[in-house]
Amino acid sequence: MRPILLSGHERALTQIKFNPDGDLLFSVSKDQNICVWFSHNGERLGTYKGHQGAIWTVDVDHTSTFIASGSADNTIKLWEVKTGKCLKTWEFPTAVKRVEFNEDSTQLLGVTEKRMGHLGTIVVLNIIPDVNAEQSDEKELTIVCDESKATVAGWSYLNKYIIAGHEDGSVSQYDAKTGEQLDNFPVHELGMQVTDLQWSPDRTYFITASKDKTAKLIAARDLEVLKTYPADTPLNSAAITPKKDYVLLGGGQAAMDVTTTSARQGKFEARFYHKIFEDEIGRVRGHFGPLNTVAADPTGKSYASGGEDGYVRIHHFDKGYFDFLYEVERERQNQNRL
Amino acid sequence: DDAERGASADREVVEARRRMLEEWLAWRANVEEEIEEERLDRGLPAKPGPEAEEVSGEERKGEVIE
Repeated sequence: MRPILLSGHERALTQIKFNPDGDLLFSVSKDQNICVWFSHNGERLGTYKGHQGAIWTVDVDHTSTFIASGSADNTIKLWEVKTGKCLKTWEFPTAVKRVEFNEDSTQLLGVTEKRMGHLGTIVVLNIIPDVNAEQSDEKELTIVCDESKATVAGWSYLNKYIIAGHEDGSVSQYDAKTGEQLDNFPVHELGMQVTDLQWSPDRTYFITASKDKTAKLIAARDLEVLKTYPADTPLNSAAITPKKDYVLLGGGQAAMDVTTTSARQGKFEARFYHKIFEDEIGRVRGHFGPLNTVAADPTGKSYASGGEDGYVRIHHFDKGYFDFLYEVERERQNQNRL
Repeated sequence: DDAERGASADREVVEARRRMLEEWLAWRANVEEEIEEERLDRGLPAKPGPEAEEVSGEERKGEVIE
C-alpha cells in the first residue's frame, strides 16, 4: 500500500472526511484550520479559516458544494467548498463536537457539549441547497440528552432516525422528525464513551467505536448488534469500507495514559477486520501517536487516518487487497456466476 | 490423529464462516426489501442500482481499480 503523508496541520487531527466522489479529503484539527486535499496525490487544495477554537468535526454534503464544521468556539459554520467562503455561522452555548448532513443534505445535525448549566443536545438545522441563499438562524429541532450526553450522532437511511452514541457507552435511536427517543441500548461497556459512529453506504447500519476497546456493527432499524470487533486498545474511530467487506479501526492510548511496556508497543496502527467474519486481517503502521480518526473512501480505492501526531495519511489499496477472499466468499462468488 | 483433528477443526471454521456469510446475506436481503417498501410508501423512486451495496461477483470484479 502506497501511503501519502499530509503535513499541513500543526496540532492533533480530530476528524477527516472524504467527499462522495472520493477525490477530496477534508481534515480538521485542534489548530483551528480546516484543510482540503486531493486524495490521489495529497496536494493541499486549500484551507478554510475563521474558527476561533479547536475544530472537532467536519462533514461534506452529497454534492460536494458545502462543508459544515463544529468547533470549541461554540459555533457551527457552513462553507462553500469551491471558494472557501464562510456562508453562515450558528452560535451555541457550548462546543460543537459532531456535525453531519442528512442523506439529501436538506438538514444538518450538530451535537453540542454538556457544561455547567447546559445539558448536551442534538440540534437540527435546515439547509437551503444554494450558496447564495440566506440560511435560517432557527433550529428545526433540539433533542436534549438528559441521561447521558451524546458524543456522536448521525442520520439513518431515508432521514428516518437520528442515531446517537453517548458518553455512557449506550446508543440511542430518535425519530428524526419529532426528536422522540424511540430506543436506547447499552451497546458498549457502561461508562465507556462511544467515540465514533460511521455509516454503511446505504445508511441501514453503522459502526461504533468505543473506549471499551471494541467496535460494533449495529442495525439502524432496531439497534440490533450485528457484529463485534475486539481490539487491544481504546478505539477512537471506526469506518466501514465499501466494495470489500472490511471494517477499519483506529485508536491507541496517549503516552501519558499508559505504562512503559504498552507505550513501547505503541499500538498506533490502523486495523482491518473482516466485516462479516469478525477476524482481524491486517494492520497498517505509520502514526507516532493514537489514531483519532479514520475514514474510508466512498469509492473503495483508499482509506485515510488522522493522528494525534498532527499527520494525515492516505493509503491507496493495492491489488492484493481487492483480490483477497475467504474460501467461503470465493465459493459464493462461483455460485453466483453459474 | 492430530492431522485428522486439525482437518475437522478447519472444516468447523469454514462451516461457521459459511453460516455467517449466509446469515449476513439473508439479513441484507431482508433490510433491502424493507427499505424498498418504505421508499415506495413514501412515493420515492426505487434505489438506483450503483448505490446498492451488495453487488454480484462479476460486478465486483469489474470494479476493481488500481
